[in-house]
Amino acid sequence: MLHRFSYVAPGSRKELLDLLTTDYVQAKILAGGTDLLVNIRSGVATPDMVIDIKKITEYSGITWSDGEGLVLRPAVTINDVLCDASVRDHFPLLQECGHDLASYQIRNRATVIGNVVNASPCSDMAPGLLCLGAQVMIASSRGTRTVPLEEFFIGVKETALAPDELVERIIVPAQGKGAVGKYRKLKRVNGHDLGIVGVAVAIVDGHVRIAVSSAAPTPVVTEGLPPDIHVDEAVKITMDMIHPISDIRCTKEYREFMVGMFVRRLLAEVRA
Amino acid sequence: MNVKLTVNGEAYERDVVEDRTLLRFIREDLGLTGTKDGCGAGECGACTVYMNGKTVNSCMVLAVEADGAVIETIEGEAADGMLSKLQEAFDRNHAVQCGFCTPGMLMSAKELIHNHPKPTVEQIKEGLEGNLCRCTGYQQIIEAVLDATGQLTGKEGLEHAGK
Repeated sequence: MLHRFSYVAPGSRKELLDLLTTDYVQAKILAGGTDLLVNIRSGVATPDMVIDIKKITEYSGITWSDGEGLVLRPAVTINDVLCDASVRDHFPLLQECGHDLASYQIRNRATVIGNVVNASPCSDMAPGLLCLGAQVMIASSRGTRTVPLEEFFIGVKETALAPDELVERIIVPAQGKGAVGKYRKLKRVNGHDLGIVGVAVAIVDGHVRIAVSSAAPTPVVTEGLPPDIHVDEAVKITMDMIHPISDIRCTKEYREFMVGMFVRRLLAEVRA
Repeated sequence: MNVKLTVNGEAYERDVVEDRTLLRFIREDLGLTGTKDGCGAGECGACTVYMNGKTVNSCMVLAVEADGAVIETIEGEAADGMLSKLQEAFDRNHAVQCGFCTPGMLMSAKELIHNHPKPTVEQIKEGLEGNLCRCTGYQQIIEAVLDATGQLTGKEGLEHAGK
């Protein structure tokens, strides 16, 4: 690659948090690497140090409990989510989202937390997680804090993370268990591609929630809407929430049109 | 950094710089050039190899991350001078033209068949969605996978009738 960096793979959480505290290095966390290594090669990311978190054993695995809900840790890949029985049983919407993310090989490496931390407006996991009211647990050597996912995104590829922090868990609250949801992603080709728009609609804990990607600086989500909301009203609320732009993939007008279309279709599907 | 790994059943130990990708390591340090360097961005799948039982785009893995890994590449596919069943099916169904995508295609097909011993056409398309082919055409590749899994009926509506 054009850019030189040092590589370190800490074996413990403490070692990792200490490394992140060292303020004279520009460190980047490496999990799946499917965004980071491409960004380093293209010069978008220029870290001095790459910190591989995959050797930290407590950073692996998906767990489910009625109290805590679904917990996704930093090394959990998209294909882990697609194969996991508790995700299938409780939050199948997350599998719909994961299914549409990139290609099979990438899903073998790319992580759920990486997809969220990357904070791309076209994140595929974010719409499902936002509908389900996911929380982000952030850690640093100063302690931990938990923020709702919608507050975690603050701009295009910008998050609420401080330089010494990382996301240790995404927690999907148990209240949303069994939510009926659908995700639809418009792409230029029927293979793997970045989304033109992505829409998730779910009935979560008796409320309708609609989340949209690729149509605003960050993925966005509505409040919980009444379960019997009229479809025109649901479309209007969604339109007020998004601010799409015209870019290489399509025009602003097309994005608006397709978001409206998807909200209509998906709302009918989740109510059926 | 010192890296020890197994590639196609053979143990290797090498010193590598941190920013070297697994792809360049396999091609340039180990001299196994069957794995191809295509887009360098996870779009084309030409660099697909098996790593610890899963396919990965080797252009998006650092060689240092593969320390201790078990890797399989296209060079490990044929044994004792005999093509594997999958390679034979690709050959028989004209699923190779220029051959550039073929090593990656075979790696992806291998994991697909491992997960779905009798994949449907839809499952094949999904399993191979990360592998671009620009000349053979996907139809023959899909048929090769159907053939390798004993599902070719000869009525696939082929562009190349009479096969």
